[in-house]
Amino acid sequence: MKKERANFIVNGRSYEFIIEPQMLLIDLLREKIGLTGTKYACGTGDCGACTVLVDGKPVLSCLALAVTARDKSILTIEGVAEGATLHPIQQAFVDNGAVQCGFCTPGMVLSAKALLEENPKPTRDQIKGGLAGNLCRCTAYVKIIDAVEAAAERMGKGGGS
Amino acid sequence: MGALKNYDGKGNNTMHRVLLPFEFFEPKTVDEALRLLHTANSKLMAGGVDLVLKMRLRQILPDAVIGLQKIPELDYIESNPAGLRFGALASIRQIELSPLVQKNWTVLFEAVHQIASVQTKTMGTAVGNLCVATPTSDIAPPLFVLGAKVKIVGLNYEKLVPIENFFVAVGKTILEPNEIVTEIFVPGMPAGIGSAFLKAGKTAGDIAKVNAAVMVLVADKICKDARIALGSVGPTPIRVPEAEGLLKGQKLDETMFAEAAVAAADAVKPISDIRSTAKYRKEMVRVLVKDALAKAAVNAKA
Repeated sequence: MKKERANFIVNGRSYEFIIEPQMLLIDLLREKIGLTGTKYACGTGDCGACTVLVDGKPVLSCLALAVTARDKSILTIEGVAEGATLHPIQQAFVDNGAVQCGFCTPGMVLSAKALLEENPKPTRDQIKGGLAGNLCRCTAYVKIIDAVEAAAERMGKGGGS
Repeated sequence: MGALKNYDGKGNNTMHRVLLPFEFFEPKTVDEALRLLHTANSKLMAGGVDLVLKMRLRQILPDAVIGLQKIPELDYIESNPAGLRFGALASIRQIELSPLVQKNWTVLFEAVHQIASVQTKTMGTAVGNLCVATPTSDIAPPLFVLGAKVKIVGLNYEKLVPIENFFVAVGKTILEPNEIVTEIFVPGMPAGIGSAFLKAGKTAGDIAKVNAAVMVLVADKICKDARIALGSVGPTPIRVPEAEGLLKGQKLDETMFAEAAVAAADAVKPISDIRSTAKYRKEMVRVLVKDALAKAAVNAKA
């Protein structure tokens, strides 16, 4: 293909665009759909700020061709909350002071979501492992790990997913 | 293999926000992919982590990208008594989470488990990592000591190549432009095997300054076979027969580990670069080989 009509399912909503193969997934999300919660930072796959979930798996949208996510289910930070109600992971980030500048937060929340879906009761070490692909330059991570721990506990008690 | 071009003519690795145009193909079978590979200046893409990054750096500028993701016959991890096989689309994460790998091929598990980023492991494939032929690969050294074989497929032929013969130079393998690596085969492990993978990096998340995989086969307290593979100390991953030879036929103890470790350090000719110095790399070879052998010897008894 050089230019093609493609279907994308983002946060449960279906979109159709004519895309070129060189379009990166992050540009589809930010520029075409206007979902700017997904952040562009290092561009080299080191920082994880651009993380989104594709079919539930954490993917770096700055290194993924949009065309490879065609017809797949893409979740960005905008699709995590239920209307005005924050997802338990987001609420735990607020409650634990895990957000400072906020730039890494969307990626952190999505990595945490992927982790908790795979492993609902992670140890602190497993949380560190699950978030190892996401860098934060403000918090030194302690409060982020606290937040994911708290979210796991709350979700385990039926606090929603 | 696409031509390597320096976009600005000065060899600068300039990061660009967007990719330059290319044509994209998504074959459904290996045969179809092989036919497409005859297009001039085309590149294969499995996970895309390395390729897309190098396209953004303008280090690789293909006219066509052939995505392998829609070829179901390449997406598998399976094992039988003969060994473990995984296809070109098996992600590093799938290998890490495979109970079979965790149980029977622990040196491979240790190597993929310590790779930090879940995202990179989810997108990246083991075969892609090997085909990129970076000297720092954490996946190559364990496959060296496990005696893995690389299945290379061309139009109307296929061959099985020992992984030690696969790498040629930095970024270069024996793979011809019209060939595809479809599978890695890892033989089953006999009883009495002990192995270990260790890595020295700037941070836990960084790629290796030096990495080492070792395997020992112990019977009646005597070392029957020893394999030591090192990464990041030369243009390709290497075995160090000088050190392995010292261990064979010996009773394994701290003195033997130390002697083999010195022999390994003497045998390598690393370079100094942004991650480390040649001198430090040599010293770390000594430390890692000694520690890995001690760990492997304990595992062999367990």
